[in-house]
Amino acid sequence: MAEPALLEAAGLRLSLPDYSRKPPFGPAPPVDILHGIDLALAPGDTLGVVGESGSGKTSLGRTLVRLYKPTAGRLTFDGRDIADLPENRLRPLRPQFQMIFQDPQSSLNPRRRVADIVAQPLRLYGRAATGSEARRQVDALLERVALRPAHGDRYPHELSGGERQRVGIARAIALQPRLVVADEIVSGLDMSSQAQILALLHELRRDLGLALVFISHDLSVVRTVCDRVVVMLNGRAVEQGDCAAIFASPRHPYTRRLLNAIPLPDVDPGWVARTAENELGEKLTMNVRDSVALVTGANRGVGAAFVRALLERGATKVYAGMRSTDGYETPDGRVRPLALDVTDHGRIAEAAAECGDVTLLVNNAGANRNRPISDDDAQRNARDEMDVNYFGTMEMCRRFGPVLDANGGGAIVNMLSILSRVNLPMIGTYCASKAASLSLTQGVRAQLAAQGTLVVAVMPGAINTRMGDMNPPPLEEPADVASAALDAVEAGEEDIYPGTVAAGVSQGLAADAKAVEKQFAAYLPG
Amino acid sequence: MTATPPAVGPTLSVRDLHLAIAGRRRDTPILRGVSLDIAPGEVHGLVGESGAGKTMIGKAVLGIQPSRARIAAGSVLFDGRDITHLPERERRRLMGRGMGLIPQDPMTSLNPAHRIGAQIADVLRLHLGLDRAAAGARTLELLNEVHIRAPERVVRQYPHELSGGMRQRVSIAIAFACRPKLIVADEPTTALDVTVQRQVLALIKRMQAQEDASILFVTHDLGVVAKICDRVTVLHGGRVLETGATRRIVEAPGHDYTRALIAATPRHDRPGGLLRPVPEALTARLDAEALAYDAARGSHG
Repeated sequence: MAEPALLEAAGLRLSLPDYSRKPPFGPAPPVDILHGIDLALAPGDTLGVVGESGSGKTSLGRTLVRLYKPTAGRLTFDGRDIADLPENRLRPLRPQFQMIFQDPQSSLNPRRRVADIVAQPLRLYGRAATGSEARRQVDALLERVALRPAHGDRYPHELSGGERQRVGIARAIALQPRLVVADEIVSGLDMSSQAQILALLHELRRDLGLALVFISHDLSVVRTVCDRVVVMLNGRAVEQGDCAAIFASPRHPYTRRLLNAIPLPDVDPGWVARTAENELGEKLTMNVRDSVALVTGANRGVGAAFVRALLERGATKVYAGMRSTDGYETPDGRVRPLALDVTDHGRIAEAAAECGDVTLLVNNAGANRNRPISDDDAQRNARDEMDVNYFGTMEMCRRFGPVLDANGGGAIVNMLSILSRVNLPMIGTYCASKAASLSLTQGVRAQLAAQGTLVVAVMPGAINTRMGDMNPPPLEEPADVASAALDAVEAGEEDIYPGTVAAGVSQGLAADAKAVEKQFAAYLPG
Repeated sequence: MTATPPAVGPTLSVRDLHLAIAGRRRDTPILRGVSLDIAPGEVHGLVGESGAGKTMIGKAVLGIQPSRARIAAGSVLFDGRDITHLPERERRRLMGRGMGLIPQDPMTSLNPAHRIGAQIADVLRLHLGLDRAAAGARTLELLNEVHIRAPERVVRQYPHELSGGMRQRVSIAIAFACRPKLIVADEPTTALDVTVQRQVLALIKRMQAQEDASILFVTHDLGVVAKICDRVTVLHGGRVLETGATRRIVEAPGHDYTRALIAATPRHDRPGGLLRPVPEALTARLDAEALAYDAARGSHG
């Protein structure tokens, strides 16, 4: 980076006590709010933080100015680590980073006049020797935010929403900070007051060289204000970078959903109709952190990648299902090897009883004979593939549906393939079994929606494993596919197509299914 | 003055409505001669900044304006019938089957002490005279229609146990429960996250189309207007500045103020830069016009 960062966070974590689960005696258990946030802000830069309610954006803002103390990670301001500084050593630094709060109604003392409110930081930090000196500075600050000195004699309730927010800004810049965190400061305002406040922020940044962290749920506003943006979901930064680039081509499905949801002021009669049927209902989403997962076929390839990704995202326990646990080396104390052959339906019933705490089921086990339908052994190949891919998955869903229900809903991830949507004749019987599994997934989804279970269909292109090496390149990395699947669980996406091949094919199918079918038919069994 | 309404007249017709809040010394005018018509099945947007009087129009239509508010002149016609000064008893009969409300904040309109199911069933029993079993069955049906996933569970829950989006779905179910001809939606999505807002807008539009109801849709968001309204009325200082088809208003606004509102609306699909707030000179001009209007009215009594 050319310019040294003014503010830098690395692996920033935050836990707060969860008073809703506090026992009658003893401390409230901690709940994790932020799961390792990395960001950097240069002097004079603007960084937008977007996400929905509960995404952790306000907690992040408060942690950045040390209103909360991070549980772990590094937080440096101007090269100095402030993550663990005690309050008495933080105090001399505080004038340099200030916060503007969301609701001026509750952040301005209703019993104080505006002039007192704005003068308070000046008094606390001894920046004004006399009362008249303080008043002179206050008048200058009020003028700075386009209020008249007469406003200083009023009480907050006598002001409009936009005026109150100006008072909050005047107070925040009173000590000439280098960084301001603005938390949803325009969300309660109408368009014109909002535009005024944003114009004011722009002026202040230009004149005072402020760095700004701008927290908002409104991506249109963030686009207007910020150079860079962080998209938050469940306490994680799922995407960050240059505002223009991310808004032009968002990579994470959650960012895309946020952007698509915004009604732009253009007439578009089809907009409402394009709200997909499954979007009309409340989205089911699930936090991978603190989940108890069961992965089938966990000893290699994508299954092993799933186990690693789950551990990385803070699953408390992972049952690693595999045909035989002989020689399996547990990668982490949280992993429980589980002998489970998905073609053995009696064993599946036993497993469902043994693993009664599962909240996330990953049906990854699959079989592929890699032969065309014209093969001599096609009947047997097809049966073997159906046994694992279809009947195995079905029995797992049947047995674990009630377990997930008992644990509050949870999620099922079914590892399918882009070949669930189109047949590659080279491996025709395999594709048929994957198509059947997709149909099964849709049925399971419809049935389990009522109990609040999210059912995700993952349909990647060929993956770089032993099973995928017959397929035309490019091959997806197992870790990327597992990561995309868990993103989908957290964002509540029901069908995902990881990788460029799968995404392209799915778009092609939507545009012209016959053309795609013909193209695939060209890969004839050799 | 009142002409006989034609065979298929507007569902709602607000005629030259003047409303003022009574003060100790003098009255403060809030609505200054507002007129608008909403045809059957029309979604009519009412846009303006805070203080423009848009919420007050909705309240006056429903007859729930604050007691200090005085309708000084003008009338509200519902289905051709003058309901401006309807007595309380007749007004109550009109609610439910005639009109419904989708409020801004369902937390304040739902009773926190009653289960969701009972609150919907009460409306059905009161206005439609359904018995307990029929009301219970229809309640489940309504929750299904507003895409609530597990209605059997939700009917037993209390408002605070639901998310904001779920609560707004319940409000929509209540508003449409008795198949009213007109719904007043007062900033129904302002408090929601964008993704939930899109779902709720789609739901309102779908229910409206299915029931062929008219909607008076109060909002400050031109984006929302552009997506779901057939016609729009732009309001400032309690005066109608212009009215027209949504496409005309958004693409070829006739009033400077409408143009200014559009320029003040941020868009994520355009490069960042400064938004232009409504120019102060324009606001001052409009305020002066409003005062001149008051003066002219006052002079001829």
